[in-house]
Amino acid sequence: MSALPFHRRAGVRLSLRYLIAALLVIIFCFPVYWLFIISFKTPDEIFAYPPVWYPASIQFANYAVLFKDGDAATVGNSLVLASISTFFAMIFGTVAAYSLVRFKTGGENLAVWIISQRMMPPVAIVFPIFLLYIWIGWVDSYFGLIILYTAFSLPYVIWMMRGYIEDIPLELEESALVDGCSRWETLWKVVLPMARSGLFATAVFTFIFAWNDFLFALVLTRTEVTTYTVQVTHYFGGQSNFWAKIAAMSVLGTIPVFFTVAVMQRFLVRGISMGAVKG
Amino acid sequence: MSDLKITDLHKHYGNFHAVKGVSLDVQAGEFTVLVGPSGCGKSTLLRCIAGLEETSSGRIEIGGKDVTHARPRDRDIAMVFQNYALYPYLNVKDNIAFGLRARKFAETEIEKRVKRASDMLGIGHLLTRFPRELSGGQRQRVAIGRAIVRDAILYLFDEPLSNLDAQLRDDMRVEIKRLHQELGRTMIYVTHDQIEAMTLADRIVLLRDGVVEQQGSPLDLFERPQTRFVAGFLGSPKMNFLKGTLTRTGVSLADGRELVLPGRESLRSGQAVLLGVRPQHIALAGKTVAKGHERIPVTIELVQPTGSRVQVTLPLGGTSVIAELGAHEVSRPGEKTFIDLDMTRAIVIDAVTEKVL
Amino acid sequence: MTAAVHPDRNFKYWLLAPAIFLLLLIGLFPLIYSLVVSFMRIDMMDTDTSFAWFYNYKQLFKDGRLWWSLAHTLLITAIALPVELLLGLAMAYLFLEKMPWRQIFISLLVLPTIISPIVAGATWRLLFDNKYGPINQIISWVAGERIDALWTIKPNLVYPAIIFCEIWQWTPFMFLILLAALSNVDKSQTEAAEIDGARFLRIFRYIALPAIWPVMAIAILIRGLDLFRIFDIIWALTQGGPGTRTETISIYAYTQGFKQFETSYTAAIAFLVVFILTVICTWAIRRMGLAK
Repeated sequence: MSALPFHRRAGVRLSLRYLIAALLVIIFCFPVYWLFIISFKTPDEIFAYPPVWYPASIQFANYAVLFKDGDAATVGNSLVLASISTFFAMIFGTVAAYSLVRFKTGGENLAVWIISQRMMPPVAIVFPIFLLYIWIGWVDSYFGLIILYTAFSLPYVIWMMRGYIEDIPLELEESALVDGCSRWETLWKVVLPMARSGLFATAVFTFIFAWNDFLFALVLTRTEVTTYTVQVTHYFGGQSNFWAKIAAMSVLGTIPVFFTVAVMQRFLVRGISMGAVKG
Repeated sequence: MSDLKITDLHKHYGNFHAVKGVSLDVQAGEFTVLVGPSGCGKSTLLRCIAGLEETSSGRIEIGGKDVTHARPRDRDIAMVFQNYALYPYLNVKDNIAFGLRARKFAETEIEKRVKRASDMLGIGHLLTRFPRELSGGQRQRVAIGRAIVRDAILYLFDEPLSNLDAQLRDDMRVEIKRLHQELGRTMIYVTHDQIEAMTLADRIVLLRDGVVEQQGSPLDLFERPQTRFVAGFLGSPKMNFLKGTLTRTGVSLADGRELVLPGRESLRSGQAVLLGVRPQHIALAGKTVAKGHERIPVTIELVQPTGSRVQVTLPLGGTSVIAELGAHEVSRPGEKTFIDLDMTRAIVIDAVTEKVL
Repeated sequence: MTAAVHPDRNFKYWLLAPAIFLLLLIGLFPLIYSLVVSFMRIDMMDTDTSFAWFYNYKQLFKDGRLWWSLAHTLLITAIALPVELLLGLAMAYLFLEKMPWRQIFISLLVLPTIISPIVAGATWRLLFDNKYGPINQIISWVAGERIDALWTIKPNLVYPAIIFCEIWQWTPFMFLILLAALSNVDKSQTEAAEIDGARFLRIFRYIALPAIWPVMAIAILIRGLDLFRIFDIIWALTQGGPGTRTETISIYAYTQGFKQFETSYTAAIAFLVVFILTVICTWAIRRMGLAK
């Protein structure tokens, strides 16, 4: 090689990395951009040939329609279902994880069984659940879906929280026990505060799973508790799609997730990778 | 009155028998140190007393009440942990107040007690800090504060100084000793460090393989050990053990040298024994030899100065022994000189049973 | 001495009780129910609950549509999974070294993964539109003539469409996991190898790969399982069409259960799926050395 200073080559290398990184960002973000931009377009802009790459002005008519027709309420349904089921999954999952970690309840077998539940394909359980729900009248009810989402999130919550709880020094709990706390108080006053960041991260992803669900909602809802994912598919047509509604509805359903993830930046990696990587 | 009474306590972990029938009676106000090498069961015993481990069999009474199967919080104990066990999300004040709040003390009372405890420990200026902002020594003080703020019958310390550096450890040892004198509470203290045990204890309980090897006052154990293990465990540098055989007047060492043992005529001649001599009981020989002392010619092998004293390794009776001499008494290895062995303070141990004769 | 009952002895069971109850309700009940029903012959017309034993399972073997759906599923998995893995790995290496704005780049790249799969499918439906979608437009520019490809309708284009969408959505997932795993590789080892004169591929093969393998194996397993039960993206893009051209096992099971109301037969399919997944998982966990 030439006698060029080392840093020169490093500079070229870095520029190249930036170039590729920028290209990747464009490729991976363009679909998101397109989705958002369509939701702000006028019908003329949407059905223009060649396509309009950016709208002349940002207008919210497409959203206004969704709110006027009441379709936007499906986002509210998703919000209710996802947050309540996340709440219960976090409580039940965390205390169960605590029991598994601290008392080795049921040994390794129980832990493996619980985690193997995450492998369960939704399509294999949704049909029996549907029949069960018809029988007890839970179809198209908040209650039915909340129970389902809660249960379906549990293996994930237990798996994640197990990792976080294992990191808590045992002595902190013992100290609390000696200082006069009951087992419940120790769990409440020591374990939960110590696992705070883990609780946070796990809750975000539990929420996103429930929020993004489609199959369960498709099968188990009718009109009352339709979620936004199901609502989006209502606008699909054979040849004529309701472009503006699809885009606006999707954006409405996507913004809360983007927002949560932006707030939860630092928990992203560990949450997404299901605790496979200690972030 | 005894504050802690343990009767025939056993603890099994599966096949492992960690504590094998320990009985103990601790008087009110006593500072008891459980000491022994790692794995001797001292921490397990302490955790059984605290109720953090269930006992396999036996009985534990605290303050005259049977607490064998009681929860830790129902035992009226306070405990200081090795890793301090401070709650990282609470500041110093809330850490100290934690136990009082758990026991539903009135906030004014808590305020008063936290102040008293923190003044006593000199951490009054740290109350609003969080544990991560404290040095190791400060954390240890907070951990102790959290224990002494309570009115417990029994105060338990689980190797509280082992995570501190040497300098700090000496300071904290003094602090704990002072606290005990001021508070006059019953304390049980676990350590593997024999210096801590010697300096702090009213009574040392020396454990080995889950059994009490010997208990008594520090000086009692130091001067009248009942077994080779006790003799070897306490004291620094360690006691020297010389192989030998009893003769009519004394002991014959492995290299054939005979040493006279004064006042031990009752011993059986011909028995294989170990002669135990503390490094402090070996000195450089003067012009005359006192009664009961032996004057022996030696060649110095190794010199380790410690500042105030010097530890000298020299060959004797077919092995190497360590003598602790004055700082400037010996200069270099290879020097030939005479040592003076204080045979009146030497101990004789049965080579087979390892019991002191 | 009798062991008196410790006052907190049942605490650990109380903690587990709600979770176990829910998991039994949602996890075990459907399985047992499916098993029982799969031995009967219940459908829309016939609600007779007498046992026909292995009738449905025999039908499975004769059902060409089922095996085709299985083949479709495997086809998608076989293409998408390796691409996601390799692309994700390359991206992870690109961002492994520190660079300004690195965190912002990473956050932007991760967006596709957190979007709902149904929205992802809908988005690509917009992109793939033959007339108003930007993809055909870009292709037209490159080709120099107007291209009017019917991505979600033409039989030979639907698989590329589905696989593009799938790769777009899940490559960032692989990327993020592998980036985290690579960041945890002991730097002194790779530096030592560099000083010893080893080139990139050699370092990857003998130092990085063994270190990240446990994590990579789990990522492959998770993605593999997700791909095997792929439903949402296909539902949004093609609904299994044209005809049954892109029908995957999940789509087929859904159709049988909720469109044909073949209760017992659907139960048998569900059981078959669980069986296949269990076998794959067990094999994969053994093979990848994940069992601890």
